[in-house]
Parts: sequence; structure tokens; C-alpha cells
Amino acid sequence: MKKKVDLLPYFLVSPLIIFIICLALTPAVFTTIAAFFKVQPLNPPTHFSGLENFRDILHNAEVRSSLGNTFLYIIIGVTLSTVLGIFFAVVLQRRFTGRSILIAVLILPWALPGVVEGILWTGIWDANTGVLNSVLKSLHVIDHYQVFLGQNKFLTILAIEVVQVWQITPLSTILILAVLQNIPDDLYEAATIDGSDAKKSFLHITMPLIRPGIAIAVVQAIIATLNIFDQPYILNGAASTGNSLAMETYAVSFTNLNFGQGYALSLLITLFTLFTSVVIAKFIYKKVEY
Amino acid sequence: MLQAIKVSKGTKGAAIALSVASALGVSSLGAPAKAATPVTISVVLAAPPLPAAMLAEFTKATGITVKWTQLDWDSLQTKIAAAATANTYFADATDVDWSRVGQLGKLNWFLPMEKYIDTKALAADMPQLSSFSKNGHVVGIPYDASFMVTTVNKVLFAKAGITKLPTTIDQYTKDLNTIKAKNIVQYPLNIPFAAAEGLSTYWYETTGAFGGNILDATGKPLFTDPKSAGYKAAAWMVNAVKTGLVPPGNINVADSQGQQTLMAKGKSASTFSDYSGNVGSLYDVPASSSVVHQVQYLATPGVTGTAANLGNPDGIGIPAKAKNPEAAAKFISWFTDGKNMADFAGANGISRTWVGYFFPSRLSGIAILNKKGSIIGGDVLAGMLTNSAAVFPQGAPAWYPEFSSAVYTNLHAAAAGTMTVEAAIKAMGAVATKLSSGK
Repeated sequence: MKKKVDLLPYFLVSPLIIFIICLALTPAVFTTIAAFFKVQPLNPPTHFSGLENFRDILHNAEVRSSLGNTFLYIIIGVTLSTVLGIFFAVVLQRRFTGRSILIAVLILPWALPGVVEGILWTGIWDANTGVLNSVLKSLHVIDHYQVFLGQNKFLTILAIEVVQVWQITPLSTILILAVLQNIPDDLYEAATIDGSDAKKSFLHITMPLIRPGIAIAVVQAIIATLNIFDQPYILNGAASTGNSLAMETYAVSFTNLNFGQGYALSLLITLFTLFTSVVIAKFIYKKVEY
Repeated sequence: MLQAIKVSKGTKGAAIALSVASALGVSSLGAPAKAATPVTISVVLAAPPLPAAMLAEFTKATGITVKWTQLDWDSLQTKIAAAATANTYFADATDVDWSRVGQLGKLNWFLPMEKYIDTKALAADMPQLSSFSKNGHVVGIPYDASFMVTTVNKVLFAKAGITKLPTTIDQYTKDLNTIKAKNIVQYPLNIPFAAAEGLSTYWYETTGAFGGNILDATGKPLFTDPKSAGYKAAAWMVNAVKTGLVPPGNINVADSQGQQTLMAKGKSASTFSDYSGNVGSLYDVPASSSVVHQVQYLATPGVTGTAANLGNPDGIGIPAKAKNPEAAAKFISWFTDGKNMADFAGANGISRTWVGYFFPSRLSGIAILNKKGSIIGGDVLAGMLTNSAAVFPQGAPAWYPEFSSAVYTNLHAAAAGTMTVEAAIKAMGAVATKLSSGK
């Protein structure tokens, strides 16, 4: 007897599949193919060029500089957003008056576009009229206004990445909090009976059991920091002190109009994102059963 | 056969659509048109909207509604490039900057304006139209005749005991040092050192003041020799920030930001390369300025006397993928009409004045303004206009954006102290040499 196929599940997921095929897979396939072609509208014709785009892009001094900057963005951003995410999640785990309001407020920076955040933080970091300089000077911490962006590479990247951390930490918090709330209270009660204090409970119960949440938070932080664009563009312009890989892809593609190299760089970024995500998932993610 | 199948499917589809529409009670389907479909065009410029009253007049006269979008200049150039390369619609009329004419002309990203407007008849009344042409086609129509100027806060200069304004760059530098030494303001000079287009423009104007050009006729750099004007201009600009004439924080200040937060607030005494029209549209506007009637234009101080002012005209064109090119052309004709331009510049009162607009690109528009005597600083500006020169006398090269990017990133780095002027100039020269050789 022929088994009746239930089409409803396929029907329900079809919008998502169509969405992914049209907006993710098709451009990805196109980019992958085009990365092996010389595509320069100012210098036609378009032709197959093998690995030439990849070779040229890796020999490009600006790209190499932006690669180093991007690694710094990743290290600072992933570390800070994950640590802060765990901290806020633990604070928000316990129920207290105003908790819901606090969560809503915490999410606000995540909802703001990066450009808006960049503009907001310009008012803080600005070396001529910024709030931070004004506060530090009125507290007599500094005797004259300081330049936070554009002179020292590490300070520039740190200042820019703080803005992104402000944006992505809420998502890390929510992801970790969701896992945290699934941990049964019985485990903590049993540990307390066995003589465990708060510190030991955190290290030996909370941390191992929130690993799935941390893994997802780390992956989303890596994707965000690897693709950082709005914040350095608004706060530091196209300067090499804060230039990111995503900004360089934009410059190569839309300023230099060298789309072949732009595709190649995009493909490399995608492959790196995939690789690191898989590695993170393998080493941090752990299926938890209570 | 294939065509027949397509037609058959199309007919069937139309029939189904009609049936569904009827079932839904869409009675207008199939009814004869009662009036022409109203047209709305999208105009995107790096400028605030025109006065509402004037746009309403245009709509009333033509039936075309204008949806105006303002973007910052750098973002606008990116959007134009992104839409054109993706072969998609972006706007019906948008910016054609003088610096992009070479590139846009080569790439055919804009429709030839001579197809829609009698550009030959326009040429006599619009001197800068020729610089908006490439390969025999008019890429855009200039709608203003702006150029770079030097602005000074005469009150701050007077407080420092400077009664005679400088005419040479040496005297200008000396006066700025006097203002600083007498602590009239801590940082008397505004140079926007943010890595953006405004920094490149500032350097071009300063290079002109030092008596030279940026590129030769073949696009090769003319600024790599330490004795060249471009090299001296870069050194002068970077030295200004090192010696405390320019606020150290200006390494991240863009052009308009510096004009609004430093010059308009009386924190700087001068901007060497300012935008013509800023006195009337920014510094003399009480809502945005604390130095009303204090700032004036100064003939650009050069090596031995007054130097040329570099032309910085803005144009408007029709992108190749515009949805309503005919309507866009009608708007551009109206927008660049001499009488309307005179109104934009303030010939007929504030309600018809376009904020930030400077100078008509049509001689007939200037004639109306002169007759009415309504140009702020008109006598000085008129002299500057006759003394204005193109940044690239041979026309902007098609690879200009990449060159400009090299200019502003390297000059920024030199000002920030992460590289020397020599290294910055070397890097900028290498890019110009490479691009001009077609590599």
C-alpha cells in the first residue's frame, strides 16, 4: 500500500527555503564562481583568471593591514561580549523587581543600526568636543583633550570595538540566559547540601551547563566582529588604523571597481567564518542533558 | 514554438488574474483611463530638499511629484556605484560630481543628457557644462558653480591685531601663528583630516595655492618632488597639525563637521579650503552659528599673491536604470533654469531660497542675482569666480575614486603621525603612476 506523503511540513518551511535559496545560496554560488574571473568595469573584458584575484588580494598591503585589524576586532569583541554576556545572564537569572524592564533596556543597543551607534559614540569619543574628554577633564584625570581614535592602532580598535560590544552583548546575554534558565534548581540545591558555595556552583554547575549557549554566542560574536563595518567607517573613516576586512571589500569593490577581487575577498571571509564556526561548535558546544 | 507556449501561458495567466480581480470586485480593471497616471520621481542628492513651495510649483506645472532624498556625499557615490553595477534602479535623477565625470562617462552609468535636453543651446549660458562631458556625451548638468574658497573670522583676526588680511600663504601662516600665540583661539586653523573625500579636496585647493597641479595631462603625478606644489601643500597641512595650528582631534573631523563645530562656533579663525556659499548658508545663520557676520571670504592666499580657486561644481544626471527618464529630464530642465537658480540663491526671498545653495551655473541666473544685488559677499565671490580653475585641467580621470582614496588615507595617516609626509606622498604617487599606466 502506498504511503501517503504529508506535504504540510514542506509547505510550511518552503518560504524559508525559497528565502535562503534566493538571498543566500544564489549570491553565494555567484560570488564563488565570479571570484575566479577578472571583473573590472573600467578595464574590460571580463574573463576567467583562475587564482589571480586571490593572489593579488593577499599581496594587497591594505588588505593585509585590515586583516590584522579584523583579528584584533575579533579577539576584543568576542572576549568582551562573551564575558559580559555571561555576567549579565547570571545577574538576570534571578527574578527581581524591574527585571523585565532591565532586559528590555539591555536589548535596545542590539536593536539600533550600527550607523546610529557610530554617530552616537562619535559624541563620546570625539577629541575636540567629546563627552568622555569633558568628563575626564572636569574630574582632573586629564589636563587636555585626548585623541582616542586614529593615532594609536590598538586604542583605535579598542574604542571602536567597545561600540560593537555594546551592540552585540545583549544577544549574547539573551542566548546564554535562555540556556541558564533551563538548568534545574535541584542541581544547585543538591550542591549546596553537599557543601558547595556560590563560586563552586558557578564553576562546576553553571559554566559546564551553559556551554551550548556560550558556543552560539561566540559564533554570533565572531560573525559580527568579522563583518564589522558601520562603526569603524563612522568613527574612523577609511583610515588604516581601524580599517576592517569588510571595509576593504567595499573599497576594493566600489571605490576601485575591482569586483573580481571583491568577490575573492568576500569568499575568503565566508570560508573563514564557516571554518571558525565549525571549530567553535566542535570545541565549545556540548549537548547537555539534565 | 517556445514563443507560442510563452504567449499561451501569459494569456492564461492574464485571464486568471482578471477572473480573480473580478471576483474580488476590482471594478476599475479594464475600465478606460480617466486621467494620465501621476508620475513620481526619486531625486537623490547630497543636499537638503528644495523649498517646498518651489517643488509644489513644479508639480502643479508638470504633474510630476518629486520625492527628494538627502544623503551624505560619500555614501551617495557608493550607492550610485552599487546600483549601477547591480544593474538596478536607484533614482531617477542623482548627483554627477565633477570628479566622477571621467568614470561615469566611461562606464555609461548615466543616460546621455543631450538625448533629453538641448545641451548645445545650454552651453553658451553654462560655462562649466563642457567639464561634464565625456566621449561626446553630456553625463550631467551642473546646477551650481561652487568653488573652493578661504574663509576667515575677521573678528578673531582683528583681536590678534591683524588689520590687513593676508594675501600670501606665508603671511596667512604667520597670522595664524599670531592668533595662536596671543591665545585668541587655541587652534586657529580648520583642516578636516578625517580619511574622507573632503581631505582630498582640501589638498587640491592648497596645492593650487602653492602654484601647481596634481596630475599631468597623462595622469602622471606632479607632486612627488619635494619642490613641487603638491608636496609643499601636504607638508604645510601636516605641519599645521603638528605645530598646533589645527586641533589634534581634527584627524577624525570631516569637512562639514569642522565647518559646523569649529568655524561656525568661533573655535577656529580660518578654513583655508572652505565651500563657497558657506558664509550665507552656515556662518551667517543664527540657528547654526555663533559667529554671525564675523566670517568673510578671502581671496585664496598664494605663493606670491592671490591664487586660483578650484572649481567644485555639482551636477545632476539620469542613471541608466531610471524608471522615468523623461520626467527626470523635465525636472532637471526646471532645476537648472536660470531664473529658478537665482531664486535658489536668494533672489526672491527666503521662501524660495535653497539652504546651502551657492551660485547659479547659468550666466543668466547670475545676471538676475547681480541685478538684485542679493549675493552675500558677492563682490569678492564674483572676482573669485573669474579666477577659478579646474582641479584637473584635462578632466578627472576615470580612476579618480581610487586615487582620491589613496590621497585621503595617506594624508590622514601623515597627520595622525603613523607615517611621514614623504612616505604618504610616495604612496599617493605610486597609486597615480600605477593607475595612469593602466595596470
